[in-house]
Parts: sequence; C-alpha cells; structure tokens
Amino acid sequence: MVHALEDIHRLLRPGGDLIDIHPVLEAPLVEVYQGGKVIFTESWPDYSGEDYRQAEQALAQVVARRLFVIDGSGEFDFLTYGSSVAELRNFLAEAGAYEERPKDDAVVARESELFAHVEEIMQAAGEGAEVADHEKARITRLKPI
Amino acid sequence: MTVRPDPDNNETTALFDLAHFSGQHVLEIGCGDGRLTWRYAARAAHVTAIDPFAEAIRRAKENLPSELRYRVELHHIAFKDFAAASEPSAFDMAILSWSLC
Repeated sequence: MVHALEDIHRLLRPGGDLIDIHPVLEAPLVEVYQGGKVIFTESWPDYSGEDYRQAEQALAQVVARRLFVIDGSGEFDFLTYGSSVAELRNFLAEAGAYEERPKDDAVVARESELFAHVEEIMQAAGEGAEVADHEKARITRLKPI
Repeated sequence: MTVRPDPDNNETTALFDLAHFSGQHVLEIGCGDGRLTWRYAARAAHVTAIDPFAEAIRRAKENLPSELRYRVELHHIAFKDFAAASEPSAFDMAILSWSLC
C-alpha cells in the first residue's frame, strides 16, 4: 500500500490532490427499514477490518515521511439498500465487499442465521421493507509535498 | 427488485466538499463498474479510470454514459503496471475509491 502511495505521489503534479475514500474501522451494519425508519440493526458477523487498518497505517506512514500532508477530511454514511436479502447479498458479493479472506464454517453459519432472521423481520414488516448494508466511510484529501 | 447504492448521495456530497474537479485531469484507481466515476466525471476535464478486475471494467464500459464517452477513459490494468508506464506529474488529482485496502 505504501508503494502505491509513493507511485501516486510521482504521478501527481505539485500541488495536486489525492482523495482517499475507505471505510472506518467499525463493523458495518445490516439494517431493515420500513417507512423510512430502522426497525432492525445488527453488525455483520466476524468483521475484522484488518484491510482498512492497514490502509490507515499506510496513510499515516506517508504522512509521517512527509510525502503527503493531510489537507482535509470528513466522514459519511454509505448505505446500500436492497428489496430482498438475496438481492443485496448478490450485489455485495459482485462488488467484492467483505470477501477479503475465506470464511470458516462458523462464520457462514452465523451469517445464514442473521440473514434468515432479517428475512423473517422483512416478511413481518410487509410490503416496502428494505434491507440495507450500512457502512461509515472516511474521505481524506492529501497534498503531495 | 432493485439495489440502491447511496441513494442519498452522501458519498458524492462528501467528495464535492473536498475535491474541486473543474479543469482537472483525474486518475481514479479502483473504479469498479464506474458507480462513483459517473457522479463526478462531468465536472472534470478528463478522467482516466482503472481497475484490475476485467469484469468490473467490462461493466463500466457497458454502463459508460454516452455524454461522458469523450471525457472518461477506462482501462483494465493493475495500478502498479499503470504507474510504471505513466509519466511523472501526469495528473492533477488521484482518487482511491475504496481501493487502498
């Protein structure tokens, strides 16, 4: 990751901007919405956030080496809604979300249990209920030095 | 049956608060299917968007809005290879869109 940031430093003109967007080190949530209100929320099972921790460390390293300086930052909520559990899970799988490492059987079982519960809640909530993946993300602007 | 990523545009709002695209030559690293690219590209002078996954770039090329055709270049390439083949100081802005991990 640090090597990639060094390459970016070389590709940017002096005074240019590097914009980094990545999730914060906090487990994403599975939520169920009905009528614009959250009626269920629970963390994704077995979320480690290890990749994002490494991304934070890489950014800290290039700032400490005075390759870049942080020039601004913010946080935002990123929600992806699906009208069914299967649809949302397929979408996230295609996007490569939460696939950083193979899952063991216990995690797969916990996920299956969670999503079976979510499906029950959605059925009980009736038409218009949506399931959402809710992540918090950080955006940072860095300037090459 | 629909999936709606960020329908409230929280990501775009946060991006436009921090990044000023007017006249900028932008490199987006890890553009995926172009979901974020389409949201800012009209404001930039030119966008080079790359992704190492062939399927993602195939979908991006399929989804590229016609009005952005001359403004956005999409390449299936790993960043390491792209960087090795690129001139220094070639871009005004680089965006790591959920890809530094």
